[in-house]
Amino acid sequence: MSIADKEIRFMERIKAGYKIEATDWMPDEYRKLLLKLIHMHGISEIMGALPEKEWVPKAPTLKRKLAIMAKVQDEMGHGQLLLRVAEDLAAPFGRTREDLVTDVIHGRVKFHNVFHMEAPTWADAGIIGWLVDGAAIINQAALLHTSYGPYARVLKRICAEESFHMQHGESIILTLAGGTDDQRQMLQDALNRWWESLLFFFGPVEVTASAQRMIDYGIRTKTNEELRQQFFTKYVPRIRSLGLEVPDPKLSYDEEAKRWIWTEPDWEKFGRVVKENQGPKSQQRVDLRRFAHEEQQWVREAMLRSRKKTVSMIV
Amino acid sequence: MKEHDVPEEYEVFEVFVQKTQADFHTHVGSIVAPSPDVALMNARENFLRRESGVNLWVVPRQCVTATPYDTDVDWFAREMDRKYREAGGYPENGRLWKMYKERVLHLDEIVEDLHGEKDKRKNESASS
Ligand SMILES: [Fe+2]
Ligand SMILES: [Fe+2]
Repeated sequence: MSIADKEIRFMERIKAGYKIEATDWMPDEYRKLLLKLIHMHGISEIMGALPEKEWVPKAPTLKRKLAIMAKVQDEMGHGQLLLRVAEDLAAPFGRTREDLVTDVIHGRVKFHNVFHMEAPTWADAGIIGWLVDGAAIINQAALLHTSYGPYARVLKRICAEESFHMQHGESIILTLAGGTDDQRQMLQDALNRWWESLLFFFGPVEVTASAQRMIDYGIRTKTNEELRQQFFTKYVPRIRSLGLEVPDPKLSYDEEAKRWIWTEPDWEKFGRVVKENQGPKSQQRVDLRRFAHEEQQWVREAMLRSRKKTVSMIV
Repeated sequence: MKEHDVPEEYEVFEVFVQKTQADFHTHVGSIVAPSPDVALMNARENFLRRESGVNLWVVPRQCVTATPYDTDVDWFAREMDRKYREAGGYPENGRLWKMYKERVLHLDEIVEDLHGEKDKRKNESASS
């Protein structure tokens, strides 16, 4: 079968709703788009654990400490699951797990803008748990029907764990919202700090060429704007019910058009944050990742060597 | 195993069925067979006579590394309550949201809204 015929058959299978598996033939373009998406997703889970990890030693109660620690563990676990999926996609390009893991240290893979930002107060930890996770959950839930089987299965497991993250985030902000004036102010300040980042998180309004290709291939089924609208619908009424103010005077729901009107974030500023690691915490977090990776090098090597030793003893 | 080294007995294979491509393979039991390809056929005849599946794995039992059942009870020990790790560990959220005339947001609601599956929850919530 020629490549052109294979491609036609591949598209027919996708249109018919079949899932593609790691061992199936796939066009290079499909593999590259998927790899880029899943690689960034996986690395973002790992980098995303870092702002919250800062709050493990400072959590206000033992229960909060246990819960945020559990969540940090989950995010690291999500990174592990996603990297396994990415590795199988990367193998034909001769790229290994080591490459995928170290790319972030060398600035060769991006991670989500929200994980470049500061989390100076406990309310920031709450807003991350509630709204950053909320945005990420909408993104991931939208991908549940992706055409790539291994990604769909891992996402199902991730989403199941995210339902704990949702309650965890709500619990922190509900407690602060019912607290003192200072605590409520802290919550409002954190919301102000995060709002623009949250809007950027969903990506540009226009459907870019590669986003369109991902939709053609059934990798994604929703546009950025559809997901951002879903985020508004789910979260804006809840934010307002708590007596908090969304820091966007233009934000309103157009009943006739059935869509939210909103002010666009500074695309260029956040673009630099993601593409050039120019966010307030980018360098520090990438450095921490490098430190962790390099300092543990000897452990990974020692384990490999001890395995060789056991194998040779058995033989 | 070398080629001339014919096994005297059938080998035990552990069987894993994948029900749909949205599911991971799940262990369902084991069978014996003289070779992996016969094991696949035996597995299909044994485990998929009624139920359907999209993929089967057979794995020689000797390739499985498992935890013991009878020793090292600490392996699965849970030192303390782990409710804080579960979505159900935050029952007070619902009561607190009520004070603000709102309600807890659940994952299935987001999935239903995004994928157009039947939205049962919406009607329920209108009353609360
Ligand atoms: Fe996650
Ligand atoms: Fe999460």
